[in-house]
Amino acid sequence: MYTMQDYKSNVKPIFCPGCGDYGVDASMLKALMELQLDPSNTVIVSGIGCSSSMPHDFKTYGIHGLHGRALPLAEGVRLANTELHVIVAGGDGDGYGIGLNHLIHAIRRNLNITYVVMNNEIYGLTTGQASPTSGMGHITKSTPFGVIERPVNPLSLALAAGATYVARGFSGDPVHLTNLIKNGILHKGFALVDVQSPCVTFNKINTYEWTRKRVYKLEEAGHDPKDFMKAMEKAVEFQLNPEKFPIGLFYEADVPTYEEQEEALKQGPLTKHQLQSIEDVKALLEEHSVL
Amino acid sequence: MRNYDVSIRISGANGDGIDSIGFMIGKSLARNGLYIFGYRGYQSVIRGGSVWYQIRASTEKLYTHGEYIDILISFDLDGIKNSLGFVKGGGIVIYDSKTNGADELAASSKMDINFVKLPLLDSAVKSGGDIYRNTVAFGILSKIVGIKEDFVIKSISDRFKKKPGLVTPNVTAAKIGYELDLGIDTTKFYFGEEGEPKRSYMLSGNEAIAIGAAAAGCKFYAAYPMTPASSILDWFASHENHGILYKQPEDEITAINMTIGAASAGVRAMCGTSGGGFSLMVEGLGLAGILEVPIVVVEAQRSGPSTGLPTKTEQGDLLFVMNASQGEFPRVIIAPRSVEECFYETGAAFNIAEKYQCPVIILSDLFLSEHIESVNIEPERVRIERGKIATEKAGGDFKRYLITEDGVSPRALPGTKGLEFVAPSDDHDEYGNLITDVFVGTPEAVELRRKMHSKRMKKLETMVKNGDIKMPEVVGEGADAYLVTFGSSTYACIEAVGLLKDKGINVGIISFSYLHPMDSEKVEALLSGKRLIDVESNYTAQFARLIRMNTGINIKERILRYDGEAFTGEYLCAEVMKILKG
Ligand SMILES: Cc1ncc(C[n+]2csc(CCOP(=O)(O)OP(=O)(O)O)c2C)c(N)n1
Ligand code: SF4
Ligand SMILES: [Mg+2]
Repeated sequence: MYTMQDYKSNVKPIFCPGCGDYGVDASMLKALMELQLDPSNTVIVSGIGCSSSMPHDFKTYGIHGLHGRALPLAEGVRLANTELHVIVAGGDGDGYGIGLNHLIHAIRRNLNITYVVMNNEIYGLTTGQASPTSGMGHITKSTPFGVIERPVNPLSLALAAGATYVARGFSGDPVHLTNLIKNGILHKGFALVDVQSPCVTFNKINTYEWTRKRVYKLEEAGHDPKDFMKAMEKAVEFQLNPEKFPIGLFYEADVPTYEEQEEALKQGPLTKHQLQSIEDVKALLEEHSVL
Repeated sequence: MRNYDVSIRISGANGDGIDSIGFMIGKSLARNGLYIFGYRGYQSVIRGGSVWYQIRASTEKLYTHGEYIDILISFDLDGIKNSLGFVKGGGIVIYDSKTNGADELAASSKMDINFVKLPLLDSAVKSGGDIYRNTVAFGILSKIVGIKEDFVIKSISDRFKKKPGLVTPNVTAAKIGYELDLGIDTTKFYFGEEGEPKRSYMLSGNEAIAIGAAAAGCKFYAAYPMTPASSILDWFASHENHGILYKQPEDEITAINMTIGAASAGVRAMCGTSGGGFSLMVEGLGLAGILEVPIVVVEAQRSGPSTGLPTKTEQGDLLFVMNASQGEFPRVIIAPRSVEECFYETGAAFNIAEKYQCPVIILSDLFLSEHIESVNIEPERVRIERGKIATEKAGGDFKRYLITEDGVSPRALPGTKGLEFVAPSDDHDEYGNLITDVFVGTPEAVELRRKMHSKRMKKLETMVKNGDIKMPEVVGEGADAYLVTFGSSTYACIEAVGLLKDKGINVGIISFSYLHPMDSEKVEALLSGKRLIDVESNYTAQFARLIRMNTGINIKERILRYDGEAFTGEYLCAEVMKILKG
């Protein structure tokens, strides 16, 4: 039985007081504990950003990689050792900006990875520039006249790309969020959990209050997460009606994972394969023999 | 067997099946114990264009495909035009009776060349269709070099084993070709009597890299397609049933980051690309440096800059891979000099990567990656050394980045109980906690950064001291001058030195396969007091600059080729003579 101490590191989180990411940290901790994941078999991978500091807050294995490249790094870990639980954490700039290409492909690939994006509609670590999810008109350091590009909608994008688990949580509701993360980890395949996680320092628009005023839970509204078209409708709801901000599980589907189909993994995890077989190499060379 | 050295060039358009008959002729001769060297000239088009495949066979070990051609067989007029200038006196040019303008070209040639007009296309059509023209050519060439007809038939049947419907028309085509009368005496191209078949392997540099990686226990290869690295990917993709995972990612950024992830999880992992893709890998290379993750990266150079000449060779990325990525971190650059070295040095690359927990770059080029040699390979020679891996807790929290004498800290693989740690791209303390943020700037942090950075960099010194970085090979004693070269250009130097010797000129070679780190003092001592001529395939003499940077020795005499073609012995011989004659 693993307890809190088995998961929580003694590193003090770098977040500003009141940052939404504390709530995500706490929900992640609870999710790991409730699932009793073996910390030595768990790897938390991240990119760069305030949110990407998450691996340090845990006593699991972790890789704190490059800005925007957490998914490829995590995919490599998972492909090499399918016995590991691989969780990816990062920000909206990291995942929906510089790393967006990887998200689409990670979704297509459907590896067993859980991706938690702390979406604060801002670049926190670089002190408050617009992010790809900042709303139209948002005045930031880098957009003093207001944002004039329409925001990325990660949910409809993920659905369109064929995602098999699409959820949105709110760091102001850690119990609800814990469930979404937990089910994401249990989900067979790639799970995207977008989290509305306010940056109290640089985003004065998408605050806790702003969110609380609009938020409602899909499960309480009778949403059926097996219905793709309904999921799409809910995913774009905020775009059409800025007063409505649904959270919860939008969509879940049972689709074969990459690991299940990959030829090279038919003999088990790569880390467990025999490292060297001279006989096998001889056979490989024989394909090129002139005899 | 008498001395034999014959170069055959088959020329036509993309899609004519030129490569495959070049390969088959080579294979037939290699079975007879001849050394084989094959290289192709092609363009970045899938159909059409003017391409050639040149196969050379000799009783002596071969180092290039040869500057000049003994036998040219061309399917079109462009093929004759483009290659005629390389045909030796006394050589043969075979062309199709259907090629418009060929008769006139033959008639206007002032050279001592035998032009032979044969019904290539008509014979193919007789066999079942124009696609069998290359097999007709295979029959003709087999007859000229002296391969017995029953063996020609056997090799055709073997080749189409998996497509039985194609056996009969191809055998017919080969037989018709075999029986065509050339009307000239070709006995000087006849290699001799067929004896007991001898085993060797016909491998390209890329295939040798792939199989070398497999032999060294590589379990993961990620690559986005790019010439001339793509045939490594082809090999891995078609051998996934051997338990090696090939992943085609969305781009090269992904390729290197996946490779770092896989290596972090504990498997031997590699990615490969050419200069353009390597440009995208640059940030990832530094990530492997700071995380201290062992990865192998193949960079098969082609002519740059930018998209450059996608199907032509160059050694123009040396200083780029040497300096790629911000900051300083240990990296190793190995430039194999031959197909055999592609095999063995790939194995060595994995050992160095794991022993010193750093990225190792295998610097190839189009010439090395794509040419074919008949080689003997002994997989038993591949030894695996995995370096320091921690398996159990020594008390207290695990210090993944422990500061050690030699700079190497034992690493732990995920799944190991009690050794959990975070590997960060930010600089960090021994546990992996960030120096950045709160801590940075304090006196402790300043001291820590100095220690951690020195620890990492120390690994370069350690690997040199441990003898893992091979010194250059010196050929020739007391020579009048030494050709200083690296990687694939070495081969042409060997050939040139032989040709110069025939002219009574004593020139030696100092060739490098390990380019970085360099044992500066030893290399300086080796180069001092000798007349040196730098030989490399680029405009700015990047290797000479690297040597100067390390040793202070400025090699002023230089032979630089950057026209996309590979050096050959004849080409270099002429250039060296120009320099020596001053
Ligand atoms: C290649 C690269 N470009 C830029 C940066 C600088 N950078 C660090 S974090 C960041 C944005 C962070 O925003 P987000 O991912 O939303 O994370 P947050 O801090 O908001 O949690 C940027 C641009 C970098 N580290 N690497
Ligand atoms: S800057 Fe914003 S996102 Fe970063 S820690 Fe502070 S509140 Fe959180
Ligand atoms: Mg952000």
